[in-house]
Amino acid sequence: MSSGGNTSSVYAGDEINAIVLDPGSYNTRIGYAGDDFPKVVVPSYYGIDKNDIAKSNAPGGKTRRVFGEDINLPRSNFETNPILKDSEIQDWDAAVDQYSHYFNKVLKLDYKEQPILITEPVWTSNQYRQQLIDTFFEKFDFPALYLAKSPTCISFQQGRPNCLVVDIGHDSVSVTPVIDGISLLKNSMKTNYAGRFLSDHIQDLLAHKFPEAKIEPRYRIKSKNPTVFPTAADYTTKPLNENITTSFDDYQKEKIWHEFKESMLEVPEKKLNNLNASQSNSIKEFYSSDANKRLFELPTGQSVELSLDRYALADTLFDPESYPFHNADLNEKYPPSNGEISLANTFDDYKPLKRARKAESNQSTPPLSQDDHNGNHTEIRGLSSLISSTLSSVDIDLRSSVAHNIIITGGVSLIPQLTERLYTELTNSNPGLKIRLHAVGNSSERFNQAWIGGSILASLGTFHQMWVSKEEYQEVGPDRILSQRFR
Amino acid sequence: MSASDILDVLNVQRGEGAPAKKKQKTNNGKTQRQSGMARELYNLLGPNTPPVSLSAGGGSSAVKDKLNLKPSPWSRIGFTPQKSEKGKSNLKLYHWVKGSKELLEQEAIEEKPYFFDKFDLKPDIPELVDEETYDRLMEEIRREKSKNSIPTETTNDDTKPASNDNNDNKTTELVNGIDKEKESRADSKEKEHKEDGDKSPAETEWSYEETKQLFVLCNDFELKWHAIFDRFTYPGKTLEDLKEHFYLLCGKILKNKPNVNPQLLDSLNSYSKSKEIERKQYLENLLTRTPAEIAEEESLVVEARRFELAAKKMLVERSNLLTLFDSPQTSQSVQQYRSSQGLTNLYNSLMIMDKHQKRKQLSFQKGSSGRDPIPPSIPVAASSSFKKDRGFQTHLQQYLSGLLKQNQANNNGIKQEKSAVQQLLAKKLTVKEEEAYGLYYHANEKLTPGVILRSGQRLPGLSQRQSTLKSVSSLLQELDIPTVGGTNWKPIMPTRKTMTKFDELLRASATLLEVKKAKDKLESEIKLIKSQRGLQ
Ligand SMILES: Nc1ncnc2c1ncn2[C@@H]1O[C@H](COP(=O)(O)OP(=O)(O)OP(=O)(O)O)[C@@H](O)[C@H]1O
Ligand SMILES: [Mg+2]
Repeated sequence: MSSGGNTSSVYAGDEINAIVLDPGSYNTRIGYAGDDFPKVVVPSYYGIDKNDIAKSNAPGGKTRRVFGEDINLPRSNFETNPILKDSEIQDWDAAVDQYSHYFNKVLKLDYKEQPILITEPVWTSNQYRQQLIDTFFEKFDFPALYLAKSPTCISFQQGRPNCLVVDIGHDSVSVTPVIDGISLLKNSMKTNYAGRFLSDHIQDLLAHKFPEAKIEPRYRIKSKNPTVFPTAADYTTKPLNENITTSFDDYQKEKIWHEFKESMLEVPEKKLNNLNASQSNSIKEFYSSDANKRLFELPTGQSVELSLDRYALADTLFDPESYPFHNADLNEKYPPSNGEISLANTFDDYKPLKRARKAESNQSTPPLSQDDHNGNHTEIRGLSSLISSTLSSVDIDLRSSVAHNIIITGGVSLIPQLTERLYTELTNSNPGLKIRLHAVGNSSERFNQAWIGGSILASLGTFHQMWVSKEEYQEVGPDRILSQRFR
Repeated sequence: MSASDILDVLNVQRGEGAPAKKKQKTNNGKTQRQSGMARELYNLLGPNTPPVSLSAGGGSSAVKDKLNLKPSPWSRIGFTPQKSEKGKSNLKLYHWVKGSKELLEQEAIEEKPYFFDKFDLKPDIPELVDEETYDRLMEEIRREKSKNSIPTETTNDDTKPASNDNNDNKTTELVNGIDKEKESRADSKEKEHKEDGDKSPAETEWSYEETKQLFVLCNDFELKWHAIFDRFTYPGKTLEDLKEHFYLLCGKILKNKPNVNPQLLDSLNSYSKSKEIERKQYLENLLTRTPAEIAEEESLVVEARRFELAAKKMLVERSNLLTLFDSPQTSQSVQQYRSSQGLTNLYNSLMIMDKHQKRKQLSFQKGSSGRDPIPPSIPVAASSSFKKDRGFQTHLQQYLSGLLKQNQANNNGIKQEKSAVQQLLAKKLTVKEEEAYGLYYHANEKLTPGVILRSGQRLPGLSQRQSTLKSVSSLLQELDIPTVGGTNWKPIMPTRKTMTKFDELLRASATLLEVKKAKDKLESEIKLIKSQRGLQ
């Protein structure tokens, strides 16, 4: 429908064929605004020939990267690298390469006519955002562009202008209050106790508990016969090229952990490590019972049996402190985090110097994480306490409406019983608030939620004025565009 | 060719019932058939009803119209979303619009305003003055503030400098004065709070730079304060600080402008930071209540509601009683009630009134139960048995409550007035009360259906031989136990208790007599044997 025939104000859509791009740490989603689902959902990884990297550093060198399904093909000297970290683009060349691959070859875009909406997390610095815009205007021919905060998109997807968005993704868990469709940055919180954290825990647990069980990536297996753990695995491998890189293997193993997450994890009703020893023992006993046993088949055909650990793994999201890794390296990877985001650099550009001194007295600027190194103890916040502390930081006038509209999203939130556990813990810790959780039932909507929200946003007729064209960007300058237009 | 022809050709045998059915169907289908489907085609369907309804209610004409109509043209054309700030931007977007391309291009030339432009609204915010004026205004504000912070005895002092000519303003000023008194009190409280070196909110300084950012943000975020506060980059300011500063400054700026709405000015000046903080503190306290406290408060509220309802009900009952007292005019002579007919009349009229009242009460109960979730407990509370143990249930009650529930479930649809007995049963009665009403739960007894009089009831103890019965009767006579006499083995007053006791007595005496008989027999035998052996 269009403006011409539109007389009712209820439907405010007006398609302009915009492109929506939602780069996540695990998957990147690209598609047309107005669609229900992204046309393209691909891993945010790329494959590249090791030798090419060296070449590309030399002037005039050309690199060939592979994306999507192609990266799963075992090739010698081929690295598999992530493009994003913490939902921020790290490898700009690869990102541009990936996007242009999908824009040009898969979607065959007509750049002249299609503006692009890009989702971004709330913790991006202005410097990063500027680089993002510059890169897009420079490398692609989009007439206009918009940066949308992903919690804002999610709130649009749910049609809840005032809400608290809890996004449990791959690299990060983020909690963001959204008021009138605007994400509140100062109140947002983020930890890394998310999907990758779980993957590492799974890997750590299997290595510790079943040291004899061999974890082979699936692509190596030629044939296999099912066995159960104490019995040795019975399989044959494919003859493969010698020079498979570890990054490729790690990426392939990540798929096993993902499968494990999907099929094995379940959130226990209560914290497994309670202060009360007898209570926690009885809970553990319950979850160790035969009824809770489940087999997981490794790619080698060997199955391992797990019961309590299935629950303990999911419990790490809620109580990361109680589950140190057996592998010390992994402990290093996840320093204690209380979820507070340092936004200092976001505003660096125009903060007068004389104010810097007062930063300590300001409650809203979170204490910087450097405190840890000074020996200060950081409170480790699991999922529920992260949400609770965000709730308590929100202005009292908004708190009840926000607590009533908590949106749970992101791939990891699909673990069974997660919302139930969250509900009981939140209600217990916030007796005065009426907690209501909203999680879309459709699983693919759950991890594409930010994209879908962006798709809705970009197809609104009232959104037309929000696009920022290249000319306007150059005319007005990045500072003002960033603070006033992409809010 | 129709379905029957096909069936004939294919030699398909049809059942006897089929043709009749088919006729019916085609009759019904006649209206359907007309729509959207050729008759020949429809006939081929035969006795089968079409899987989907073919007509959407619009009749065949709608479908045909659609088939014949040329699709209205939609064309993809470029447009320029208007930018309110910079006039026209050169961004061109494309969308689909109904209408032919030529027509739409014509329109574009005519500069038809862009449809969604009307939603692009900006808040009406005064522009920030230059730095010099800003300093002057701030000085003014500071002066006023320091003056206000000294609590004044009379509010009139405050109103004078403002020099108002209409009464309306005076009253608001008065209110303001009261506010200010409160404010100063709150201020002192806050100072106590923040004794640890933190500056009191009244002293927050605002540089021109900060103010500039504030105004820009207010414009950008359309006065959504939470967003403004979130994006405000200078540290050390609370949300209330921002609001206060903005409102005060806007008030000052607007004052110097011609034809400003005085009400707006008033509302701008009436913002009180300390009260806002106080309010939030209060809310915060409300939220930090423990679950126990919340539960207690809730139960108190429920209790209070209950009391209210009970009081209301009592008033209604009392008025009913009063009317009841009034009904036969006591001042009249009682002569007319002397005769038996007169008494019956009186009785009847009283009964009629009583019924009326009961009906009223019932409807009142029903009505109120619709509105309020808790009232059913109140009628019970009014009953005398309420004070006694409510948790305890007699056998009868257990049985009855089950029965009543069932009945209610069965009769839910039909609105029935409860009979007096049912109402009585619905109440919780003590053992004593049950007895008084003569209610009894026959647990395992077999009862003959229908009404039985106890006087005609045959006691189980009477199933004896005639001879024993005779001796029993003589025994009873010897013991001076009165019976109805004759062949009626009944106590004179056959209450349930006496009847059971009497029954017991009968059995006991029958056994006694039997034992005596046996004893006599044995004794005589012993005598006989003794005499035989000559042991005497
Ligand atoms: N059914 C499932 N059960 C458990 N975990 C799942 C399930 N499906 C996906 N995941 C996990 O969810 C994570 C991906 O979630 P999602 O797609 O929301 O992340 P992302 O948006 O790409 O990352 P981020 O938001 O951190 O940038 C992965 O770790 C994946 O293993
Ligand atoms: Mg995500």
